[in-house]
Amino acid sequence: MCTPNLISRKTFLKAGLALAAIPLLPHAPAYAAPADVSEIAPGVYVHQGRYEVQSPENRGDMSNASFVVGDEAVAVIDTSGSEVMGEELREAIRAVTNKPIKYVINTHMHPDHVFGNAAFKQDKPTYVGHYKLARALGTRAESYITASKEMMGEKAFAGSEIILPTMGIKEPTTLDLGDRKLLLEPMPTAHTDNDLIITDLETNTLFLGDLLFSQHIPTLDGSIKGWLAVLDELSKRKVDRVVPGHGPASMEFPQALGPERRYLTTVEKDVRQDIAEGKTLSEATKTAGFSEKNNWKLFDQYHVRNVTAAFAELEWE
Amino acid sequence: MPHPLKTLARNCGLAALAAAMLVLATPGAYAEEDMWPILKKQAFGDRPIKEDGMVVLEAPQKVEDAALVPLTVRVPPEVKGKLKSLTLFIDNNPDPKVATLTFGPAQGTGGERSFATRVRVDNFSHARAVLETEDGSLHMATKFLAAAGGCAAMQAKDPDADTADIGKTIVRVFPPALESNPIWSGQVMVKHPNENGMQLDINTAKFIPARYVKTVTVKRDGELVFKLDGTFSISTNPNFRFTFGKGKENNLDVVIVDTDGAVFKGQTQPKGS
Repeated sequence: MCTPNLISRKTFLKAGLALAAIPLLPHAPAYAAPADVSEIAPGVYVHQGRYEVQSPENRGDMSNASFVVGDEAVAVIDTSGSEVMGEELREAIRAVTNKPIKYVINTHMHPDHVFGNAAFKQDKPTYVGHYKLARALGTRAESYITASKEMMGEKAFAGSEIILPTMGIKEPTTLDLGDRKLLLEPMPTAHTDNDLIITDLETNTLFLGDLLFSQHIPTLDGSIKGWLAVLDELSKRKVDRVVPGHGPASMEFPQALGPERRYLTTVEKDVRQDIAEGKTLSEATKTAGFSEKNNWKLFDQYHVRNVTAAFAELEWE
Repeated sequence: MPHPLKTLARNCGLAALAAAMLVLATPGAYAEEDMWPILKKQAFGDRPIKEDGMVVLEAPQKVEDAALVPLTVRVPPEVKGKLKSLTLFIDNNPDPKVATLTFGPAQGTGGERSFATRVRVDNFSHARAVLETEDGSLHMATKFLAAAGGCAAMQAKDPDADTADIGKTIVRVFPPALESNPIWSGQVMVKHPNENGMQLDINTAKFIPARYVKTVTVKRDGELVFKLDGTFSISTNPNFRFTFGKGKENNLDVVIVDTDGAVFKGQTQPKGS
């Protein structure tokens, strides 16, 4: 009942946009304009999302979406937060290459990374994710659709749908784009329980999805201990650059991990202390980690939720 | 009988849309449409309920995580007598009755008594605490919860971890600063997914069966502090903070039974007594 009738809705949207675009709505394109992308390494393109929450104006454009071009095929890594944004990403790919889009990879389940998947159905790609992604998306599909529609409005959300992965990654796996290999590695529970990281072996570029936030406050929807442990492991790697899920299109590694580790460590330390002092969850949400307030965008939107999640995890130590 | 369960999987979309439309409505306007008159009748018949400050309900001003909303009930020290029962409601939840506590002889008197837990809030709703005092009179406190979490309230962050050590129970006693204080506080937490039976398992295309903590019996030195009858409106990994009357040893023993009939036990040996 919640799942929109996709074909008619999409058609309706396009007709509506075509009519409306000329005189009335300066923001609404008559057709999907290519998303802004930058080529951060040869054949590696990133669209940088805004540091915002979902809104009709940003149409779910709040996370980084990337693509890698091989000799024979293209792989998309995250598709932004709506079908409309996915279409714009697809236009950006088509402005670069006509090679087939063979893989659409999602780094994890969150709406701002997956709702653009629908724009690639026409390419009949293999949809790839962590082996726990299907379960995570399956149980949340309805609430994600409802909440995103509510935040973005019907028009910006039109055509968006949950597309489950057709390939689940349980062990490190390579995908071949034609003389160019991507290494996909599932992570233990950290930002979520379905984080997948990707390395473009050609340029030694690491795509961390939301295991890395920069500027945008990290959001905890998995395990704070797990996340810090994953960051410890990752920081030992030698890579030439990293693409965060939220933040600049390309960052230096491992320096890019610093602020996020500091934030998570601070929250962990403060929450542990509150628990040791016998404080309650609601008491902890008023003080823990507030020394980080001025270091992040969207702190007020997500910090208390992070402390809540951390408390519920750490009180079991 | 509680209010008949709504099927979340079918209704939650509509409920959340309704919530979206009600964002601008005042709590008062919304209250006129809510379930309370029916719930009240089911739970208490025609008995009068006074909102007279004998019980206080604390909830966050803004709900950050609808799966984990801390609620605290306080009975001010001016209320002297013994307490019979305490019932918590979230009017618009699929099962609106969160829990009923029936108090026993070790509940304690002579200071502020309190009970805190964490609940799931499926939608914009009133939360209510109804206290029954020794004389059988009913006293209520209410709070409006602006929870925009919708059905996301019901998703576990790490379902594998939640079921891995199901039944692990921790019981703690927090002695007061002044040990002669007649009111002490304790905590019970149990690892349990508290499944609501409304989530689809993507691998089997079947609903994950409901399984939640049904009763929690807390005794101090063998005497009943309270027995709690709960529902899946209590968050995953149920967590209770409560007061009890100072005893001789101040050992707490806890027995937890879930809807599958599994029994989990916990106890603590506090420092000092």
